[in-house]
Amino acid sequence: MATHAPAPAHAPGGGHGGHEIHQDPRPVSYWWTRAILGTVAGVLFSFLLLFLLRALFGFEPLYDGAVYGGVAGLIGAIGFLWGIGCFDFWLGWAKGKDISEEDHSFHGVTNWKQYFRVNTDHKVIGIQYLGMTLFFMLWGGLMALLIRTELAAPGQQIADGQTYNGFLSMHATLMIFVFAVPVFGGIANYVLPIMLGAKDMAFPRLNALSFWFLPVAGFMFLASMFTGMFGAAWTAYPPLASQGTMGQTLFELGVQFAGASSIATAINFLATIVTMRAPGMTIWRMPILAWATGVTSVLAVFATPFIAGSQFLTMFDRIMGTNFFVPDQGGDVIMYQHIFWFYSHPAVYIMLLPGFGIISEIIATFARKPLFGYRAMAFSLVAIAVLGFGVWAHHMFVSGMAPWLRVPMMVTTIIIAVPTGVKMWSWLATLWQGKIHIKTPMLWALGFLFTFLLGGLSGVFLGIVPADIQMSDTYFVTAHLHYVLYGGTVFTVFAGLYYWFPKMTGKMYNERLGQWHFWLTFAGTQLTFFPMHWQGLQGMPRRVADYDPRFETVNSVETIGSYMLGIATIIFFYNIITSWKSGPKAPWNPWRGKTLEWMVSSPPPLFNFDVEPQVVGGPYQYGIPDARHAVVFAPEEFGGELTEDTRYPVLIIANETLTSQTLIDEIRSRDSEGLWSFQLVTPVGDGDRAVSERRLATTLAILAESGVSATGRVAEGDVVAVATEAAKEVAPHELVIATLPLAQSQWMRSDSVDKVRKATGVPVSHVIVPPNDARALLGTAALPLVMVVATEAVGAEALATAVRTRADAQPARFTVIAPLDLPDPRWGAEANELRRSAGEAMTATVNALINSGVAVEGEVMDDAASVALPLAIDAYKPSVIIVAGINGEAAGLREAAEAAAGDTPVESVNLGAAAGA
Amino acid sequence: MATTAGHAPADQGHAAPEKKQHVNAALMGMLLFIGSEVMLFASLFTAYFFIRYGVANETWPPLKQDGEPFELPVVLTGVNTLILVSSSFTLWWGEKRLAAGDNKGLIRGLWVTILMGATFLLIQLNEYAHLGFTPQDRAFSGAFYTLTGFHGAHVLVGLIVLSLCLRRAYKHDFSHAYHTPLTAGSYYWHFVDIVWVLLFFLVYVI
Repeated sequence: MATHAPAPAHAPGGGHGGHEIHQDPRPVSYWWTRAILGTVAGVLFSFLLLFLLRALFGFEPLYDGAVYGGVAGLIGAIGFLWGIGCFDFWLGWAKGKDISEEDHSFHGVTNWKQYFRVNTDHKVIGIQYLGMTLFFMLWGGLMALLIRTELAAPGQQIADGQTYNGFLSMHATLMIFVFAVPVFGGIANYVLPIMLGAKDMAFPRLNALSFWFLPVAGFMFLASMFTGMFGAAWTAYPPLASQGTMGQTLFELGVQFAGASSIATAINFLATIVTMRAPGMTIWRMPILAWATGVTSVLAVFATPFIAGSQFLTMFDRIMGTNFFVPDQGGDVIMYQHIFWFYSHPAVYIMLLPGFGIISEIIATFARKPLFGYRAMAFSLVAIAVLGFGVWAHHMFVSGMAPWLRVPMMVTTIIIAVPTGVKMWSWLATLWQGKIHIKTPMLWALGFLFTFLLGGLSGVFLGIVPADIQMSDTYFVTAHLHYVLYGGTVFTVFAGLYYWFPKMTGKMYNERLGQWHFWLTFAGTQLTFFPMHWQGLQGMPRRVADYDPRFETVNSVETIGSYMLGIATIIFFYNIITSWKSGPKAPWNPWRGKTLEWMVSSPPPLFNFDVEPQVVGGPYQYGIPDARHAVVFAPEEFGGELTEDTRYPVLIIANETLTSQTLIDEIRSRDSEGLWSFQLVTPVGDGDRAVSERRLATTLAILAESGVSATGRVAEGDVVAVATEAAKEVAPHELVIATLPLAQSQWMRSDSVDKVRKATGVPVSHVIVPPNDARALLGTAALPLVMVVATEAVGAEALATAVRTRADAQPARFTVIAPLDLPDPRWGAEANELRRSAGEAMTATVNALINSGVAVEGEVMDDAASVALPLAIDAYKPSVIIVAGINGEAAGLREAAEAAAGDTPVESVNLGAAAGA
Repeated sequence: MATTAGHAPADQGHAAPEKKQHVNAALMGMLLFIGSEVMLFASLFTAYFFIRYGVANETWPPLKQDGEPFELPVVLTGVNTLILVSSSFTLWWGEKRLAAGDNKGLIRGLWVTILMGATFLLIQLNEYAHLGFTPQDRAFSGAFYTLTGFHGAHVLVGLIVLSLCLRRAYKHDFSHAYHTPLTAGSYYWHFVDIVWVLLFFLVYVI
């Protein structure tokens, strides 16, 4: 639907131009029955196979739990993946069935249950990814709370050493392999194809498969709780990992599935970025998130096989009896660490770089400035990735590896601070003199800058060999890695989730709860992890269940901090669940972003774009007049025009505040986006209709002068009724209500803004106009300035009527000038009395005029007309002068005015004798 | 905002690129997948060289648990290597025939390739049976079986892929205009061959 019609996405039976969708009719329960059967069949088959093979070749004993469990886990998982339907298309192809590549029967969802079956729609997969990874994050977080509870005081609280190791390993494993690494796959899955102007990923079915690997991996980790938890931490160093329970085998298998998922997604992202970009989307016009995802994907494709290799080797040692890590059989345990870290260091960047991309999007959008150093941002991502392959052994300075490797690894490690610094400074430079909007996503982005900076700095400490030898395996490392991963992963993920929540769900989240979530998490993070630096330097080792009592205070403070993080997480889940169910409807572009995903509806239509968009410029040209990132075409049924020519209605509701600089600036700033047309509607309750009409005419004239396309009308009735009806009529993209502050505003006192929000279901922006601003005369060239010269007539109703008549004839600004011919001495009581009464009269006239919707100000001048008028005309430079005299004095005033006016036309109005009262 | 305009990604007025990027997504995906497979073998070779370096300081060839040296049948495996390498050329010949519009030639090429690949596997299995040491022997044997075993599994996958292509070839699904699955399969097969050549030299010969 492009940017045109309000388009139903994921909606039942929604119209989707160009694609006929026949949803696969089989219900979710069918697939899950098959999946369970497949799993059971796989397990039974592997048991049978192993039993027969072992019997045939005479293996003793016939049953070996580790072997059976490992093979059954693998084949059972494949059975599950078959059952849930991941392989159906390819098996059909292999069988030679006549299968259409354009088979979309597994695309899109019509109800929430369908998120639980195989789907090829990148938007659905994105949500599935996010749901799954957040679920695992909850489990990992629970483990963290258990760890912190155990550590709250010295001695044993809730877990013995072995169980504690289990908590610790499970926490790290879940957080890293099934949260931090794949969660960005979720965000990028949803956002990236739309950002690139594509209808889907390059390989939608592979995309589905890579998602379904993820629950397999995660539940294998979780299942180990029933088979004896693995306790060798996420690093699973042998020989520790060669011992241990069945859970360790499940860990090794689970890592293989998580790795396969990661590689498959990465290949998919790369193919999408290379082959699916919209016309005009050159690599230098790609949003930084696309760069970050591409670079991350290269890392994932080329590094992940190393962890697969390392886990194969430990698994073979465990279940096949090989001797890779048995030193007296020629094995080498340091070798494991090299292979493991050759993946796991780049993996750190797999967990960070997409976050950098997200932050770049958010900071540019919320600072309303072009991203500083776009190319440097892109190149530094590449540099981090390239260097990231050359630093793995800095995790092994104390492992007993070849000593000559230390210094080169230290040097490369410290060099990484350079491209990272380039990014940090570029973000700061983007913020510099930006127009910063502190919304929840921006808060997370700023929190990221702070937290990640601290993590990066302690990383430089740890990269230096002598310092590392001192601090290795202490809580300093724990502090460092949590600062990096909290800053670089958790904060960026939440930033991204809040930023794209309106796009993904079509609903707005609750801003207040979002900010609470941020501040609690931010405080909790600092409270939990900052003291760990000190603790580590004092020598408390990491990964221990008990500690020296002198660390008690600091540990209990950290435990409190971690509980704050737990509470914050509850707020987050409450917010997204309730907002998704019943939050206010989100507009297409709530943040006024420039990238392509904001040019489609929220949520986007089934195939994102009906006609390929044309990209015409960079993605971050905020504040640059007439800059445009892309042109999105509308489908035929809407005329097939460029959206550039079409504007979407924004409804403005205001009365008393209509002619205020605040509101006009608000309208102008929206207009600079070139997307909107404005409909001004002024509800008149029991007031004078003419008053509102004057205000409307003034505002429209000002808007027209500054090139804003706006229309307006006055409508009879209560504000809620008028707004509801107007919203029904024009189907606005957004509704702006301007009011005075609460104390002065009748509308606010009757809670009209919220009532309108509820009644219309349209996103509402509330503009509060200060009372002075609502009454001030607008300095604008749009309206002719009419100077009204009067003396006796000031204060008389007849003068006000004359001005109103004039204002109704043509929108104008008025200045009422009253020259006072004062008697000598000018400081005398008589003169003062004259001034006071003239001032009062002037105030009365001006107030009466403003209240009737006329833009006016007044001045009393201390001189006879012949002296005062030349000064006044010189100061105000009016375009016309009207002399309003009462009978006799009129001629004299006019004479003086004409003498002073020069080229300015002078008119006169005789208000007649009656006005004298 | 004149200054900030300078920070904007420069729009160099490129002519809009053509609608279709000239990269075949499927082949690109296959190449990336092969890249990750290369890294998998690289990790196994890393393990192999660590172990080899560790034992080479003592004696070479390394000793088995029973004190005898590990011995690998270099000549027989050399012949086997030739068989596998030639199968890459027969596959290439089959693709050439397809390009010339000769579907029957493609089928012949595929058949010969598959048979040669299967022969290679059988000879390897036979070698396993007669090596005289098991994976449970010293670390060196574990590394040997892991490397050759992983490679054997890849040959098996390659054979399955080529068999599927053969089936499609019988249905005349490929032409000189459309042969993406076949090309992807042949990329994979060539990769499997090249890995074997490396493995043969690094494990058997030197």
